[in-house]
Amino acid sequence: MTTTPRPHWWISLALLPLSGLMAMVFLGPRQSLPIIPRSPDEANVLRVAYPQRLMPDPHQRTFPVAPHNHFILCLWEPLVECDPVTGEPRPAAAESWSWSPDRLVLTLKLRPDARWSNGDPVTAHDFVRGWRRLLHRGMEVAQTLFPLKNAAAYHMRTLQDPEKVGVQAIDDLTLRLELAQVRSTMVAELADPLLAPLHENSEQSLADNSYVTAPEKLVTNGPFQLREASGTGFRLQASPHYHGRNEVRLDGVRFIRTSNQSVAPLLLAAGVVDVVSPMPWEERKLPTNRPARKETELVLAVSAINFNVTRGPLRDVRVRRALALALDREGPIAEFNPGRMTPAWSWVPDMPGRTGLVLLNEDKAEARRLLAAAGYPGGRGFPVLEMSLPLWGMEDPYPAVWAERWYQELGVRTHLIYEPTSVRAKRMTAAGDYDVVYGNLIATVPDAGDLLSGFLWPPEYSDTKWSDPEFNRLMSEADRKTGAARLPLLEKAERRMMDAVPAVPMMFEQRQALLAAEVRGWYAEPLARQSLKRLRLETSSGANYNPGPRL
Amino acid sequence: MKNGDGNGTVPWWRHWRLWLGVWLAGTTGLAAILLWDAWPWLSGAPQASFRGTKLNDWPLSALWWVLVPGIMWLQKNLTLVDRRWPWAVLLHGLMAVLITGLFIILAGGRMLLANHLPASYLPAMVHDLRWMGGWNYTPALVYLLLIFALYAFSFYREWRAGQRLTGELRVANAELETRLVRASLDALKMQLHPHFLFNTLNSITSLIRNNRTREAEDVVAGLGELLRRSLDHKQEARVSLEHELGFLHRYLDIESIRFQDRLRVEFDISPKCLAAQVPGLILQPLVENAMKHGISKDPAARVLRISAARDGTRLILTVYNDGPPLPKDDAALSRGIGVQSTVTRLQMLYGDEARLWLRDQAPRGVRAEIILPFQTVSP
Repeated sequence: MTTTPRPHWWISLALLPLSGLMAMVFLGPRQSLPIIPRSPDEANVLRVAYPQRLMPDPHQRTFPVAPHNHFILCLWEPLVECDPVTGEPRPAAAESWSWSPDRLVLTLKLRPDARWSNGDPVTAHDFVRGWRRLLHRGMEVAQTLFPLKNAAAYHMRTLQDPEKVGVQAIDDLTLRLELAQVRSTMVAELADPLLAPLHENSEQSLADNSYVTAPEKLVTNGPFQLREASGTGFRLQASPHYHGRNEVRLDGVRFIRTSNQSVAPLLLAAGVVDVVSPMPWEERKLPTNRPARKETELVLAVSAINFNVTRGPLRDVRVRRALALALDREGPIAEFNPGRMTPAWSWVPDMPGRTGLVLLNEDKAEARRLLAAAGYPGGRGFPVLEMSLPLWGMEDPYPAVWAERWYQELGVRTHLIYEPTSVRAKRMTAAGDYDVVYGNLIATVPDAGDLLSGFLWPPEYSDTKWSDPEFNRLMSEADRKTGAARLPLLEKAERRMMDAVPAVPMMFEQRQALLAAEVRGWYAEPLARQSLKRLRLETSSGANYNPGPRL
Repeated sequence: MKNGDGNGTVPWWRHWRLWLGVWLAGTTGLAAILLWDAWPWLSGAPQASFRGTKLNDWPLSALWWVLVPGIMWLQKNLTLVDRRWPWAVLLHGLMAVLITGLFIILAGGRMLLANHLPASYLPAMVHDLRWMGGWNYTPALVYLLLIFALYAFSFYREWRAGQRLTGELRVANAELETRLVRASLDALKMQLHPHFLFNTLNSITSLIRNNRTREAEDVVAGLGELLRRSLDHKQEARVSLEHELGFLHRYLDIESIRFQDRLRVEFDISPKCLAAQVPGLILQPLVENAMKHGISKDPAARVLRISAARDGTRLILTVYNDGPPLPKDDAALSRGIGVQSTVTRLQMLYGDEARLWLRDQAPRGVRAEIILPFQTVSP
């Protein structure tokens, strides 16, 4: 049986114009599109794109971290902030601080002119209130305060009395911090946006989201205050009560929610936003001629291969060094993340006030020689290495590439084990049922010691299980010093660690921002904590950092 | 419940009107929900935004609910699955591209509205979606899978229908074969009718008594040949006209001895028609009728004319006798075994394309006419 041919010519004819319309959309003009003019009431308002949910709550974290930090630091001011050039802590809500002789007590004096957005004075009690609230939050944010005495116990409810936590308001303008142990980076750590104070009226507003309908109820102490909140973003206005009001050049900041991170550059090109941070790394052509520029900054983090130095051949430093020297960084980076990642030749990247060292190289011949000297020529007799990886990291191409490299150059086989977090947690015990772990270590303060302190952790938290008394001594000595005096000790400690090769630094990450040409005052901040109060808009200069629309 | 064509009953749940109703209700409900949800944004409420509406949040795959009936209609009406399959492939390829493009444009349109960009940015947004990995080709795959499933279902149904038809044809063939055998036996029975045999044997006896042994031998041989051919006819449904006429010659040779000089047989056969295929023993019953009810009833009757002519795609066979006219009783006429058998066989073999006419012919005589498709055996 066959169907009768019935060519419905009118349908065919209808499809043709439909195809034509569709072709017009797909092939339509994509260059030199009109730029949407800035509205007059936003002439001096900075417009920042953000792709995901943003909350004006300082005691929780949202991602990506850059717009979250920018937003929180617009509304809230911690005790200190980091200097844009040196990275050193400088006064913010606190005007000064002093250490006790044993460096276990830090006393901070608050600015007498610091005011909340409703005009109330900012007191030490507000910080105590805010920090106790933070300690009731999840471990991932509460641990910021764990350097304080009894803070961890209070968070875990093993201690009920909040007065025993190492934060006390001596008077309205004096805050006393008692540390569990010596920690020279403590002042810098106070710049974390999570450590914001809390006005007594704001807690309820944050709890029931009433700031959406009554933004004035959210009382903040930052350079800007909330004027409007909706599903499409937030409108902030310069706070008239902010102590540094005269230094704030912007009338306001608008945080505009975008459908996703990738569409944000299009919005900047269209004239809808002025700042896109972070900027996606795709090389793409923007559809307008709006002048813009890209700014790049190094992220204070290191991607590394960690060896469990208590296991088999990995006890031998020659084996660890051989495995480190055999690896290739630039090839895989060029293939997978050109521009975004950079090869790591030391544990600590460049940071404000400190240039990164070169303590490692790639030398395949030396790697083969060392492995043979350790008793494994050509990888003969070498057991299969077990590399533990999280299940969500299956799309990360690097571990497989480096495992292949070990096999090609040294004849060492690696078993990549992708596991759910719960299963992996059991493997990552004090003994450590693994040979190799690949992961990232992210600093929370712009200090080399913060990244190196991972090697001081006890075995149950350490991926390498490596411990060295001399390294510990150097780090302990550095902890008793501040500023530039720490740097030589930290360098010695880093060299000591790199000689022992408990871990191989593989890559550092860069972050980039896309800025409209009229945005001035942007600065690199490895922790993405740029304070937008430092920025200004200069539309009359005529400067064009963008030589063309291609970015 | 009858189906749309009235060809039979179908379960209520397979009725297309029911599904159309479900689809219309679903589509109306979907549109109502989306409209109700988006109303604050559409009416320009201050806090409302497109981003917060279900128009933005709901997956675009809900659009398939709207598209599927159209796709089913297209598959049924626009595609030519037999002789014009390239057209079908081209059409479905184009549709897959168009539907994928539609999904991409809708995704771009949503991004445009959610980010407050003007319509002139649609091409740029659609292009940017590619960078974002938003060019999703799944709709093409879904469309082609859907079409594939519809074709598979359609072929299955046709196969089932074919199976049923084949079964029916087999039954019809078997029936036809049975009737043919019966007709052959009937014909044989006619030949072996006692009167026919009696008359023939009397004729042979008379010829022997008159020392016309040579003619007697011819009659005996003719009778033998007649019987042999009658039996042969059982084996085949159709024979050439030439073969059929040869059989008639044998029959008429015997009948002409009985009728002596009274019978005048005339053949008017177009040579082009000799190769035409005709049902076996189709003429003999008509000739016998002509002898029995025509020439033998009227002493003045003597002409029996058999003719064959081609008229385009048709073959026209006629048997004429100048005997008395047909009886007025139609029922009697139609009940005649020879006529009835011939009509049945023609209907079986040719359906509506074959006819048998039996009528008086002015000024005298009766004419039987068979019209059937002109067919020859392919070389």
